[in-house]
This record gives sequence, C-alpha cells and structure tokens, in this order.
Amino acid sequence: MGAGAPSPVWYRGGPLPVRSGETLARALLRSGQTILGRSIRYHRPRAPFCGVGHCTGCLVRVNGNPNVRACRYVPSPGDRVESENAWPSPSFDLLAGFDLAFPSGIDTLRGFTRPAFAAPLYQRVIRRLAGYGHLADAGAPSHGTGLRLDADTVVVGAGNSGRAFATAWARSHPGLLAVERELGVPPIPDAEILEGTTAVFLPPPAGPADRPFLLVAARSNDAVEIRARQVVVASGGYDGPLLFEGNDRPGVITAEGALALAPESDRAPFRAGILVGGGSRAAELLERWGGSVEALVAPGTVGPEATRPASELGIPIYPRTLILGVDGRRRVRGVRLAPRGFGTPFTVEGDAVVLAHRRLPNPQLFFQAGARMEWRGEGGAYYPLLDADLTTSVPGLFAIGEAAGFVGAAAGLSGDRLASVLSREGPAPTTPLERVGTPGPNELEGYYRELLGRTRTRGKTIACPCEDVLLSEIEDATRHGYRGIEVVKRYTGVGTGLCQGRYCLPDALLLLSVLEGRAPEAVGYITQRPPVLPVRLGVLSTLAEPPRPEAR
Amino acid sequence: MTGVTRPTYRTVIVGGGIVGLFTAYHLARAGAGPILVVDRGFLSSGASGRNGGGVRQQWETRATIRLAREAVGAYRRFGREFGTNVWFRQGGYLFLAESPEELERLRKVHAMVLAEGLESRMLETAAVGRIAPALALDRVLGGSFLASDGTLYPFPAIWGVYERARALGVEVALGVEALSIRTAAGRASGLVTSAGTVECDTIVNAAGGWSFELSKRAGLESPNRPTRHEILATEAVKPFLDPMVIRLSDGLYVSQSMRGELIGGLTLAHRPGTEEGMRSSPEFLPKMAKALVDLMPRTSSLGVLRAWSGFYDDTPDGMPVIGEDPRLPGFVHANGFGGHGFMLAPATTRRVAQAVLGEPSDLDPGVFGPGRFLDPHRATTPESLQPG
Repeated sequence: MGAGAPSPVWYRGGPLPVRSGETLARALLRSGQTILGRSIRYHRPRAPFCGVGHCTGCLVRVNGNPNVRACRYVPSPGDRVESENAWPSPSFDLLAGFDLAFPSGIDTLRGFTRPAFAAPLYQRVIRRLAGYGHLADAGAPSHGTGLRLDADTVVVGAGNSGRAFATAWARSHPGLLAVERELGVPPIPDAEILEGTTAVFLPPPAGPADRPFLLVAARSNDAVEIRARQVVVASGGYDGPLLFEGNDRPGVITAEGALALAPESDRAPFRAGILVGGGSRAAELLERWGGSVEALVAPGTVGPEATRPASELGIPIYPRTLILGVDGRRRVRGVRLAPRGFGTPFTVEGDAVVLAHRRLPNPQLFFQAGARMEWRGEGGAYYPLLDADLTTSVPGLFAIGEAAGFVGAAAGLSGDRLASVLSREGPAPTTPLERVGTPGPNELEGYYRELLGRTRTRGKTIACPCEDVLLSEIEDATRHGYRGIEVVKRYTGVGTGLCQGRYCLPDALLLLSVLEGRAPEAVGYITQRPPVLPVRLGVLSTLAEPPRPEAR
Repeated sequence: MTGVTRPTYRTVIVGGGIVGLFTAYHLARAGAGPILVVDRGFLSSGASGRNGGGVRQQWETRATIRLAREAVGAYRRFGREFGTNVWFRQGGYLFLAESPEELERLRKVHAMVLAEGLESRMLETAAVGRIAPALALDRVLGGSFLASDGTLYPFPAIWGVYERARALGVEVALGVEALSIRTAAGRASGLVTSAGTVECDTIVNAAGGWSFELSKRAGLESPNRPTRHEILATEAVKPFLDPMVIRLSDGLYVSQSMRGELIGGLTLAHRPGTEEGMRSSPEFLPKMAKALVDLMPRTSSLGVLRAWSGFYDDTPDGMPVIGEDPRLPGFVHANGFGGHGFMLAPATTRRVAQAVLGEPSDLDPGVFGPGRFLDPHRATTPESLQPG
C-alpha cells in the first residue's frame, strides 16, 4: 500500500466509515447494518445482543479469523470484515428458509434416522449447517512466549469494587496486581494493572504455601500465568436475559448491549424502545434515554426509582406483566404483553426490547477454585458462601462486588471493607453490607410458571441463542424423564455454546425448577469448565513451554 | 427416573454408562430379567459422557479388530434400532507417523486390518495432505487410513440405549452407590447399595474408572487402574476436517464434530487415581493448544470453549476384561476398556451378556478373561495402539 489517504475498513467488500476508537459493532450499526449474521441451526437474523463480547449476536470474520465479536473489536485501517453463516448476505440469507419450513424446529436428536440409504445425505446437509464461520485462511505467526508473574495479591476486575479494594490495599502493601478485561482503565497508585487481560482459569490452590494460587489469564496475543498468595475476585455481573417468543430477534438487547451500541452516551440506539425492568438499572436507562422509551414493562413490581422518571416523562408503566413475544422477523416492530394472572394480551409498538430487569453475577472463578456456593433466590443465581471477613470457603480467596452479590453502594464498599479486614486495622466492622437476598423464590419462577402454562403461539422461543436450542427442547427433556441441569445440558446442548451458558443457564435453571416441580437449587448446576471465556488456541499455546529457570 | 423397586433381581449391573446400559439391554432382550442398573452419578456423568466419540477398527490385535468391525455395524444401524440419532459419520481415522519406527508400526497394523478384510490404506505424505488439507505436513512421513472408521455423538447413544432398556423393563437407579458385595456359598449373591440391599444371581462390574474399587469391595484384587485424561472442545466452525487424526508421537487425537467443534486430547503424563476428581489441570490447555496449532496452523485463531477430564480404566496389557471372575462366580467383569469402552460397547456387551447367561462366547478367555492376570507366567497379547 502506498502513501496517501489511510486505507479504509472493508465490510463485505465495501468501505465502512469508522470513527477513531469506535467498535466495529457501533460502526456497522451507524452505516445501517442491523443484521450481522445468521444463527447456527435455523439461520435466524443475528444482531448485537449482549454488548460485552459473550453472545453470538455480532460474530464476524476479520482478516480471515472466524468468530470475532464486533461489539469488542476496534478495527484498524485495512481490516477486511466478512459476515458469517449467511449467503448471499446477512440481510437476505437463502438458508433462512429452514426457519420458516420448520416452525417447531428440526429434531436432530430423534429425527433423520430413516431410511438407511439417506443417512449420508442427511449428514452432509446437517454438517454444512453447523458451525459459525470458516476456519482462518492461514495460521497466525508464532505467538511467542506467554507472561509468567508472581504477585502477593491478585485482584480480578478493576471495576467498582476491585478498584476500591486495590486503591486501599496497595497504599500499604506492595505486590498488588489487578487483572482487568477492559483497556484504557485509569491507573491505581502503587498497583500494577494488567489491562486487556481476562482471567479464565483459577484451579483450586495447590501450589507452595507462599503462592498457592495459579491464575491463568488471556490477552489478545498471549496468555498470562500468575502465582499469588491471595486472590480477590471482583468479576462483576451482567444484564440477564428473558425468555419469550422471538427473544433472539434483532432489536432485543440487554441494557449493556444498548449502551455498547449507542452512538453517543445521550443518544439511544433505538427510537421507541420497550424497556424491561422495574429497578435501578431501568431507572438508569430512563434517566439517560427517557425520550426514546415507549413503555416500561416489568415482570414483577416497579420500584419508586423507576416509577418517578417514567411518570415524569409520561411513559406508560406495565408492572407484573408477561412478555409473550415480539412482532417482526428482521427487527422488533412491537411486543405482545399480558398482565400477570392470565390477563388479556395486548401489543405495544416499538423498535427495541431493552432488558434491564436483572443483574447476574460472574461466579465462574469461585466454582473453578472449589469455593462453596449458595443459591440466592432474589438474585436467581449462585454466589460464594462468605464469612464476615468476605472470605470464601477457600482460604486466601476473597469475594467482593457484584460477583459476590453485593448490591448498589455496598458493591464498592465491599472492596474497602475487604482491604481493612485484611489489613487488620482495628476491630472487624459489624455493619452488614447489603447483599442479594436469600429467602423466597426468584421473581421469575412464578413468571415462567405462568408463561409455560399459557398456550404458546407461532414462532420459536430460543432457550439458548448460541446453539439455537428451543424452549420446547427443554420441555421435551423433562417429558422423556431426564431431570437435572447436568443431564438436560447434555440432552439439549443448552449451556454448551460460545457464551459459556451466561445467556441460557440462569433461565434454564428456573424453567427446570418449574418443569420438574422442585426448587432451582435442586436442579443442580453445571461444572464451570475452563476457560471462562473462549480463548484462541494460539494464545493458550504461549504457555506451553515450561517457565525459564529464574536467576537468583 | 426409577429407583430400586424389588428385593431380588436376576442381574445387578454396577455402572450406568454405555457398557452397563448396553449389557442391560442385551440381557433384557434375551428375557433374562429382572435387571437393575445402579450408578452413583447422573446419566452420562462418567466416561460415557466425556469421550471424544471416536470409533475405529485399526488395532494391533485381531480380536479387537473384529469387535470394532461389529461395533461399526451396530452404530450404523443405531438410529433405526434405538430411535435416537448418534450422527455416526464415517470420515475415517488417519494415523500419522513422524518417524520410520512409527511408520513401521502403522504398516503392521495396516497388514492386520487388511487381513481382516477391511480396506485400510498406507499413505504417502502427499496423500495424507489430500485427506486432511489443514494439516502441516513437514514432520509427517506417512500415515494409515481406514475410511469406514468414524466419529459419533455419544450422548444420543446413551439416551437411546437407556430408553430402550427401560422400555424392556430394566430398572435404572441413579445416585445410588454400590457399597459392598454379599456372597453365599462362594458366589456373589447380593449387592449392598446406598439405597438398600438387593439379592441377585449375578453382579456385573461395569464401573469404568471405579471398577478396581468395586472389585476391591468384592474382595478381589484387580490390576485395573484409572488414569485421568483431559480433552477440549473449540468454537464451532464450518466443516474443514473429515477424518479423526491421530499423531503417534504424542498421542494427539482430534476430530471435527457434526456441530463443527474440534474435539481432541493428547497423551500427557496422566495422573493416576480417582482421588483428585474429574477436573482440568492448568498444564493441559497450553500443551494441547500448542499441539493443535503445530498440527493445523490455521486453527491458531480458533477459540477454545471448554476443557474437561475423565477416567480411562487401564489394564496392564491394554485389553479389556470381559467375563466371570474365576475367584468369585456370579461376579462378571465388563471393564478395563482403557478409553475405548464407548466405541466397542455394542460388540463387547453382547459377550458380557453371554457371560452373564453362561452362554459360550467367541472371546478367548486367555486374552479377555479376568483369569489371565492370575497366572504370572502367562504370555500376554498386548494392545498398545492406545491413543484415540
């Protein structure tokens, strides 16, 4: 390439205008690309959903590398971006016919077994449908050797609580290392931050007494192995999913997803959004984008923090309301609602469904490390069992922030609290920090009981958007006598996709609780296998060589 | 799922993996009920739900080739017989040699397989590349290939056999542990479980990685030992790899599933024992990743989704243990499959059922029987083609 104008970013062969520092997903949306790919089995339209690099809504192929999340990728001049699993284009895909031809799904578990002579043909067709993108055209050059570090204390996550802990602790304790997934985070005095680094594996501590923990983390080009005396996990949380017919349609998006796509922080990436939720998260979005919100819908009650801004803006509020489904195939056109208690359905028009009804924790590292976990009904999730010192059942492993179930201001305070507890500064504090509650069922248990009790109409409800597993397949598992999430995972494939179960397991637990007629914690949980997020083979391979002997 | 409903069964099978369930199925078809299967985990919690789904007929021992050929036939028919689709795809098994010694070893296997009437082929390096274009060939001297070998999706096989067995009256008690074996007049006569004691004529030890433990609970010394093996799955991509590929030098095996994921593992210094549980080690992921990228450089940008582990039930000679224990009549072994239990199950379990029923079998007891370990001077027929 010669000198002159910088080469543009290419999307499907044409130039794509990209602003400096902006993600690919945002640039694509700005240029009018609302459908970025097609889903794995039924070739349903896919668009950004989670906004945090977990789901399969925005997979693209960049410079020949498959399954790149556009919502996390900041393109460089000259990048060639292609769409995946769509032909001839994401907005018009011939194989989308499968979705229409099989409204209740394709039964790959019990179908396609007869006649014998057709088996090879079925295989060829089904095999070609599988997979997202194409393998890279060429291998990456050598990734070199990964990083090996020793630290006294490692903090996983430099968000609200992790930063609070690190700031307080590093003042008087050398050797603090913070591992943070994002780039460009502000420095913490006297602490080292490894940014752009995701913690992916924390096996139970088995090393020498002064460094029992081994934390494996991944960066864009290599992996990191950190040996530490103690580990503080502040891995945060994310905005959770909700099941309804067409829950995977473009325009159905989490609050985080909407924030990631917003062209400017005060401009919503939709014109008439139906906001789902009745708590502080919904209130936050109302403050920000109230003018673009068409209605506020909550599975349960709507709290005063959301009622106030909604009323001021004249936005209709629908508390205790079921979302039956969305209208529109290529983009949300409206949402079908019904008051809880088997009320009469009605429709609200809009171009987005924004999910802000629940926050879920990232508990993977606690599970991997062997910490004892407890189900907390209010959160509808598992959290580490903690003593007053914020210590988990694994000595040296501590939990703070949203991942540990601390809510609101308590999330940040838990970081300060841990720093003072570990420093043994004075007597242990006695004021409890507010945590997600344990008693009683989760709000969505009754919600899903009612949803499953209603006759469903028309289209598909996608229990697992990564693998296109239908809600009806989970019901089918129960009908055939398979009980518990471990077996249902293997029976349906739920929880085995690219998001590592983040957007299907929480609902699958609640659904199975209803279907099997027992408490969610009796349904069990799946093993949290490494890595916590998909990591490229080339990146992992950088830790293959044994560490060089250190000079003493 | 059912529990234990009767005080007495004709046969009690310990282990609800593919071997235990298939044995129960064959026995039930022969009308030899009532039959109880107990497993202390959930369905598919052991090696049957943790394997890579490979089915191959290339072996060093003639008897294993014959069992494997029968198993291939059974898995081809599986969907029609059991109603679930295991998506058995015959993309072949491609063994890679990187040294003259390895090549010579493959030639011997090839000759044996060919003599059994299977169309095995020895391949030059260029031909290896034609069968699997993604492979880096710089270290490959040649390979052997059998097109009728293949891979399947293990879970539907478990569901299918489980459902058919239950439809034939087999009871499957999950979450029930076998604690000890009762004997009477020198015979196995009952099983004490965590859900109570049941009487029976025969106990089948199909406990996989825990088989030596169950033998011990029956007062029998067993040479079987569990080893922990690890495996990973990548993100799904469009089909690019047809055969299962095995590299002899490090035991790397990898195939692409019908869902598009790469599934594979390699031979590490496998940790013995069941004590540490089925968990992943920090050593496996980097080593496996490096091996895969070296083998197929184009996979370097492919994401690893998850890694997990499971137990092989290894024997000293690499051959399974099938048959009644001469030290304890009524105690029948169906174990020691060394990581190949799933692929051989349709064939081996027919012989297990024959042993339970006291029918003659075509298996040489000197090769497969548990008695072979009791004679220290006996010459063995070892099977050492273990990876994959």
